[in-house]
Amino acid sequence: MTERESAADIEAAAARWVVRADRGDLDPAELEAWLAADTRRQGAFVRAQAAWGLLDRGRVLGAQEPKDAPRRRIGRRGLLAGLGAAAAACVAVVVSPRLLSARYGTTVGEIRRVPLADGSLAAINTDTALEVAMKPRKREVRLDRGEAWFQVAKDVERPFVVESGPVRVRAVGTAFSVRRRDGGCEVLVTEGVVEVWSEGAGEVPRRVTAGERVFASDSAGAAQPVPASLEINRELAWREGQIVLDGEAFGAAAQEFNRYNARKIVIADPALAEQKLVGWFRTNEPESFARAAAASFGARVTVRGDAILVQSVAPLAE
Amino acid sequence: MSEGRARVVAWIGREILPHEADLRAWLRRAFATAGDVDDIVQETYCRLAGLAHVDHIGEPRAYLFQAARSVALEQLRRARVVRIDTVTEIDALNVELDEPSPERIAGGRRELERVRRLIAALPDRCRRIFEMRKIEGLPQREIARRMGVTENVVENESVRGLRAILAALAEGETEQPTAVRRPSAHDRTRKRR
Repeated sequence: MTERESAADIEAAAARWVVRADRGDLDPAELEAWLAADTRRQGAFVRAQAAWGLLDRGRVLGAQEPKDAPRRRIGRRGLLAGLGAAAAACVAVVVSPRLLSARYGTTVGEIRRVPLADGSLAAINTDTALEVAMKPRKREVRLDRGEAWFQVAKDVERPFVVESGPVRVRAVGTAFSVRRRDGGCEVLVTEGVVEVWSEGAGEVPRRVTAGERVFASDSAGAAQPVPASLEINRELAWREGQIVLDGEAFGAAAQEFNRYNARKIVIADPALAEQKLVGWFRTNEPESFARAAAASFGARVTVRGDAILVQSVAPLAE
Repeated sequence: MSEGRARVVAWIGREILPHEADLRAWLRRAFATAGDVDDIVQETYCRLAGLAHVDHIGEPRAYLFQAARSVALEQLRRARVVRIDTVTEIDALNVELDEPSPERIAGGRRELERVRRLIAALPDRCRRIFEMRKIEGLPQREIARRMGVTENVVENESVRGLRAILAALAEGETEQPTAVRRPSAHDRTRKRR
């Protein structure tokens, strides 16, 4: 098949298009077709256009002095505190009198992977309380607080049921996560099928398949599942200690970071909180995240005690 | 070109191109092969080209780095070989965003100087064509007539010149990174020699 066009070839062709457009010898449809084939071509073309246009300023600029853009100062980035160390191994695994029953807890900032007695695996997110009871007819997991993802070992005799308040999520052999929120649970399914319902709603269990998410309200039960495979991968990045953002609002992203850290990000300006972000960060580096975000919005970061304050900066008067 | 698009292109020329060399240096540190960097840069420009307006962008340099970063991350994600140290490396490099570049400090006179220097550094025939086109404002047809060559020659030379300028922008200029403004004639003579 055809080989991938090199960046240099694309650049040469883009320069040719720009010069031909300048000459007035151009079929727009032909250019459109060329551009449509590869986003890199579109980038190379706009870059060549910009450079070509920049040269016109040799003439334009001669006449008048352009005004300076408003300047902003961005503080230098400080060294990151070793937050991760603080959230180290204060884990309580209490083996209760009931055989094979165990309680797992994580502190703020801690993420654990735990093999369960039946061969399943649990990844437990920050600030979570989880209790696992392996019974003869049923594998019972209680999520009182926080979030966990389960890769369930297949065992048709013993369904794997996560209970969180009145919400139930039942699986046989599959992988999914449950996050406790106010008034209900968020369930993301990564493999197989699970059934979700709420004891409080007395409804028929809702089937949720791989690549879907559903919110189950404590009182009203499970809503219609929504396909969301890309989102699910991003949202479960916490299992690798990461937060992946793709167009989330700054405010929502900051709340995510705040789940993991004692040092909270505070956004002083509501307009800032609505800015959209793309990026890939470590859960335990809120300051690095705040500074990267602030730099791209032209905002300022101040660290004060346990708060990382992000504020808009008015342009300095010239 | 629509008016909106023209404004974006002019903005890219004025606010983005001057930072391209820094961006490439930054990307090269985070990614092994230069081929990747070229791809990322082109994809990044494609994103910028898609902007409907640019008035809201207060820090073009930071915006450029952020856009390139997200392109790079997307490629990492697509490649499915994501090493945590690569990711951390990228995060660590955010420090770049904090450094105000000499370009940002400098004003418009410096920009004019820069454009003149870019043109002045071109090979002879290219340079004459660019001066006629860009400083005197003559159309390509008229340039061909005056030089006694075909329009195709003018086109080919222009492509060559534009590519040389793009390459110069990619590499960046080697000059004192200080904000002290030197008498402009100095730089020009030095470059022209």
